[in-house]
Amino acid sequence: MSGALPLFRLSLKRVWKLLCATGLLLAVVQALRVRIAAEVHDTGQFAQLSAILPQAVREILGPSLASIMSFNGIVIAVYFDTGFIIALLALAITLATLPASEIETGFADLILARPLSRHWLITRTIALVLFSILLMLLMIMAGTWAGLALCAPPDAPWPTARQTAPLALTLGMLVASWSGIAMALGAAYRRGAASGTTGLLAFAALLLDWAHRLWPPLDYIAWLSPFFYFNPYELVAGGALQVENLLVLWAIAMTGFIAAYFIISQRDISR
Amino acid sequence: MESQETILSASGQIPHACADHTSPPAISIRGLTKQYGPLTALNDLNLDIDPGEVFGFLGLNGAGKTTTIRLLLDLLRPTSGQAFIFGYDCRMAGLDARARIGYLPGELGLYLDLTGLETLDFLAGLNRQPMDKRHRQELCDRLELPQSDLRRRLREYSSGMKRKLGIIQAFQTNPPLLILDEPTEGLDPLMQESFYGLLSDVKRGGATVFMSSHVLSEVERVCDRIALLRKGEMVLLSSVQESRRLAPRRVRVLFSEDVSAYPDLPPGHELTEKAPRLWRLTVTGPLGPLLALLAGLPVEDMELEEARLEDVVLKYYREEAS
Repeated sequence: MSGALPLFRLSLKRVWKLLCATGLLLAVVQALRVRIAAEVHDTGQFAQLSAILPQAVREILGPSLASIMSFNGIVIAVYFDTGFIIALLALAITLATLPASEIETGFADLILARPLSRHWLITRTIALVLFSILLMLLMIMAGTWAGLALCAPPDAPWPTARQTAPLALTLGMLVASWSGIAMALGAAYRRGAASGTTGLLAFAALLLDWAHRLWPPLDYIAWLSPFFYFNPYELVAGGALQVENLLVLWAIAMTGFIAAYFIISQRDISR
Repeated sequence: MESQETILSASGQIPHACADHTSPPAISIRGLTKQYGPLTALNDLNLDIDPGEVFGFLGLNGAGKTTTIRLLLDLLRPTSGQAFIFGYDCRMAGLDARARIGYLPGELGLYLDLTGLETLDFLAGLNRQPMDKRHRQELCDRLELPQSDLRRRLREYSSGMKRKLGIIQAFQTNPPLLILDEPTEGLDPLMQESFYGLLSDVKRGGATVFMSSHVLSEVERVCDRIALLRKGEMVLLSSVQESRRLAPRRVRVLFSEDVSAYPDLPPGHELTEKAPRLWRLTVTGPLGPLLALLAGLPVEDMELEEARLEDVVLKYYREEAS
């Protein structure tokens, strides 16, 4: 254990700038989103905005469209905004494939030639990924709060914690599930291959999820996509948090983490 | 111990050469084999290295030296066989084994955004034994890596500076066993001298050194014993002195008058150059028969070159290459 703390500290130190930059970017973009939502609210253009949305988007959003097309809805839509999801997934995949990078560069040789178990490479990475997800969600919340404090129209209701928390939790679980997949692949393959494959899988899974919402015959394979268990629209429409969906996402993450532990314990550490 | 040193094939029985039979060998390898699919990188290696010994591990590229080192560090998993560090199984008790090792890899994988000092502090923090900062400072002084350089980022380091840093990180916690893969690669001659001095000091302090090297003069100078790997198999295990005895010595004979006779040379003697007043010979074994042969000839001068380890090792290398 004594050697694990320096390992975690060093990893955090090396990614700190990346975390700060990404977190700040997300917070600032969210604050701007709040400002734009406030302007649309002040000019009363939500109905017009809703009308110009493509039919496909309207179908994907379903009954939650009405809730989203409001000041409150635009503010909390950050938790299922595709751009934000892609940013968080990219960050998570980068961090989750850290062991692959350490093995490729040979730094893992120096670490593991010392009295430190191999599992710490994975344990440290899991801790780093979960910490980073939490930090990013907190930064988004901070951006939301700053935007609301500075720009919220006086007559517009602020998102409540009961609305925000389940959405943040769902998004966090989604990102954790893809981290697990990236970590398992990163334990077995080179970093470029692992992160590229995870990115492509995530893109394909996202497309599959959108496609099945538009074309029901795809329902029979849609369950394969982790995005299938990510249902923020129901939450925005006032639905209850689906604990089963959260459990599935967490199970995917755990399966990936366990696979990563197993693979790293069995494989040869060589470039 | 000298008397127990021997030369044999890898399939032979390795004598346990531990001077102090109560303490386990610093390194003990039993039937270690590593295969990558159809390729056998290391085949049935058996070896014991005593505490306090400086051991040279030789072989051409791809002979299995680095594979052996990585198996000792449990970075690679053996196909069969076992290895022990001071009696601790490298796989089953890997943490205890590695707590006693200072390792210098052949190719250092470093984070270039860290400073030298951050790298040394981090790596020292992973060890069980505390690091004496005065000792580290002494190492830095000897290898001429000043604090100002240690505070620079590694991306600004030359390859020689990185090598020095690698040596310092391996030595800084005073481990009882040093495993060094091509330790002087990239060091200038002055730094090589400093490194040899360092090796000599750790040996005096009782540490064991297991080093792979391509530099035969270096091995001859610092090592007590050597093993030579060829295509994953150990083909030579011997003390450096014993190896030298196997090497043919070069003899140069100058005559005061032209000598036209072609003598019948005894076995083990080979005439490599013959001029009327100069012979060059290689002699394997005792010199007595040659002296007897020369007694009747007008010898003006005779030079005898000391047998070199290089000649023995190169012979094995050439056999492999052919």
